[in-house]
Amino acid sequence: MEAALKIPAWRANLATIGAMMTRARNELVRVPGAAIPGVLAPTIFFLGLNGVFGALIELRGFEVNSYESFIVSVSMLQGAGFTGAAAGVNLARDYEAGWVDRLLVSPAPRWVLLAGTVLAASARALIPGTFVFAIAMALGAHWPGIDGTMICFTMVIGMAAVAACWGSFLALRFKSQSAAPLMQAAMLGTIMLTTAYAPLALLQGWLQDVARWNPVTDIVEAARQGFVGSVTWAETWPGLLALTGLLVVLGGLALREMRRTAL
Amino acid sequence: MSALAANARVIRALGMRSIRQTFRRPQLIAPIVVFPTLLLAIQTGGAGGAVELPGFPPVQSFLQFMLAGAMMQSLMLAGNSGGIALAVDIEMGFTDRLFSAPIPRFAIVLGRLAGVAALGLFASIWFLAIGLVFGATIEGGVPGALLAMALVTAAALAIGGIGAAIALRTGSASVVQGLFPLVLVVLFLSSAFFPQELMIEPAKTIAEYNPLSFVAEGVREPIISGIDAADTLYAVLAILGIVVLGLVLSARALRHRLRVG
Amino acid sequence: MAAIAVERLERAFGEVLAVQGISIAVEEGEIYGFLGPNGAGKTTTVRMLTTLLLPTGGRAEVAGHDVVKEARAVRASIGVALQEAALDPLMTGRELIRLQATLQGLPTTEGRRRADSLLERVELTAAADRRVGTYSGGMQRRLDLAAALVHEPRVLFLDEPTTGLDPVSRKTIWEEVRALNDDGTTVFLTTQYLEEADQLADNVGIIDSGRIVAEGTPESLKAEIGRPHIELQLAAGSIAQAEQTCAEIGRLLPPKDGRKVLVEVENGAADIPRVVRALDEAGIGVESLELVRPTLDDVFVAKTGYHLAEESEENAEQEPAEA
Repeated sequence: MEAALKIPAWRANLATIGAMMTRARNELVRVPGAAIPGVLAPTIFFLGLNGVFGALIELRGFEVNSYESFIVSVSMLQGAGFTGAAAGVNLARDYEAGWVDRLLVSPAPRWVLLAGTVLAASARALIPGTFVFAIAMALGAHWPGIDGTMICFTMVIGMAAVAACWGSFLALRFKSQSAAPLMQAAMLGTIMLTTAYAPLALLQGWLQDVARWNPVTDIVEAARQGFVGSVTWAETWPGLLALTGLLVVLGGLALREMRRTAL
Repeated sequence: MSALAANARVIRALGMRSIRQTFRRPQLIAPIVVFPTLLLAIQTGGAGGAVELPGFPPVQSFLQFMLAGAMMQSLMLAGNSGGIALAVDIEMGFTDRLFSAPIPRFAIVLGRLAGVAALGLFASIWFLAIGLVFGATIEGGVPGALLAMALVTAAALAIGGIGAAIALRTGSASVVQGLFPLVLVVLFLSSAFFPQELMIEPAKTIAEYNPLSFVAEGVREPIISGIDAADTLYAVLAILGIVVLGLVLSARALRHRLRVG
Repeated sequence: MAAIAVERLERAFGEVLAVQGISIAVEEGEIYGFLGPNGAGKTTTVRMLTTLLLPTGGRAEVAGHDVVKEARAVRASIGVALQEAALDPLMTGRELIRLQATLQGLPTTEGRRRADSLLERVELTAAADRRVGTYSGGMQRRLDLAAALVHEPRVLFLDEPTTGLDPVSRKTIWEEVRALNDDGTTVFLTTQYLEEADQLADNVGIIDSGRIVAEGTPESLKAEIGRPHIELQLAAGSIAQAEQTCAEIGRLLPPKDGRKVLVEVENGAADIPRVVRALDEAGIGVESLELVRPTLDDVFVAKTGYHLAEESEENAEQEPAEA
């Protein structure tokens, strides 16, 4: 390419990420009802869990007076997990259709291609997150305050990015949509194996041990804090650390797979 | 050969195909069994303290209570998967081959449902075994276990009929698959996962009239306390109601399909 | 400097050696036709040269860059239109080319300008703002080609660009490839269509079962085979006897179908009366007769023992697509 046409690498990378996010937006805007499953699933879980297990707040150890307040953040994170995993499914579909070859044969750095996929998922997770949040407020969940809301949505965006990295890793590893159930189930399972249903002290046996060590528990607690009490740095930083750690590990795996895709 | 014997032979052949198809693809069975198992483990661990709530039925453990819910979830997923399989047959053109053969139309649907029933039976055995391994007792003993298995199998068949009706009407596997969230909704709005008396409104009222609640109670009673004639009768009536609904919808959908091709 | 330099390139998939130590040199400004049946190793070779697949042996340079060590530089220098037109059905044609421009690092304004110009070049301006999912097969291929050209690559890889297209669309693509080559672009073209290689390529490499079995200009390859053959359409039931009779006059070639006998003759048209007389004396009825001069299929038969043409025609019949 002529020298006059060269743009700084950082600008080219940003433009590529933006173009990939725009493409991802097409599915929402151009396919009728595409957004519905991603919104429906977490909403159903939120309303369902609330209707079924709402009486749990009467147990000693539940320091909150509404189950909606307790689980709204979990449902928002579930929506994020679902959205991120769906990004992986889309990438697998793109692989099967040959679209990924178009990306890989371009000079764009591999991390830029991955970032485009992940950031698109993070942005999209705001849709189910906002929907569930609004429903929870309408049902009388405790208002978390501006700080609590911002932290909750930060966790949601971060969780979507983590799920997108996981989904991308599997998509590039197996190169097939048949890995989709694994993408979805792993995310759902990981979020549920936390203090999703009840505080740590009320979890039974093995689940208490798993939740104690599961980094996603810190993300759940960070997202939940404003809904059940006050927002503190002590509750926030473990969630941020967990997000960062998961992004580094899963993002690293996905990037490695993307680089290995030429094998 | 009498017409009855001939029909039975056809249904058996199609049924064997359906069962073989079902169990030759573990990646399709897994979600029907693995997902509810995971949920069972999580809900037992997460909400297990619920047995302390005033008004909770006397049970040995929350696991014992939840086994019925897991079985209900499996049978709903099995019914949904039966509908998907029939829709795939329609999309592939395989049903055209069957329609052009001198076999009764209902045999096509019944044969497909054989696979669903087999899945339902498998799921009931699986969860009863899980329960026993993790310390739950089947209070009704062997007769109780057999009753639970029979009700789950029959309910899977009934739900499969609804799935088949949707498949025949739409001819699209992705549409049938897209109904999965509805499956969850209907289950949550029943007493599959929690005692109906302790649920929160409006779920509580809906669960009171939801036929799946009667099925769930029918499956649960033999496990947590022993065989109860009334609960069993209500479960059977609920299943029959769903069967009738499935038959009516399937017949109409079949007529529609044969009309439009 | 060769635009593409391949040295004993190899690719194994487990025990299977899909590409077995091939060596190719394509000069700047050349159209190189890579010809072979399905499964010969054409697409595997293209994927290695376009950095989508790592070789397991040998080396290759494209536009002066090693495909393994300088993969990114290779990608900046090449345009690729793969066998599956990798398009997004939800995007419009214009959006797709602009996206490709962004992926290639072009400034936004320049990318837009080139997109408009390329759409006009491939006659897709009217459809540019329609979704790709509504395009015919021929339109999709033209769009794919346009996207491959947005950054004016030095080397263009076209993997079976006209498979499944109708004759009119195929001709359009050919004209475009010639025009690109006239502008100085080196083209590496894989095809299973003999006529395509014959019409377009300056040099042809024939690959079969992972090996190059012949290489040269179309004319030199055909001249190497040399002799014409006579194709005889016979009445059913007389094939075996006819083959016996013709074998005494010339060399029998592998049959294309069950009702034709192919016999290679030394003297071309002058041998026709001899053949006809011999068959007549043997009481064998001839429905039709044709003198066929060597084609690339003949070259293929001579090198591999079977026809490439039948398979190509079958593929063409299976997937006709409109322009």
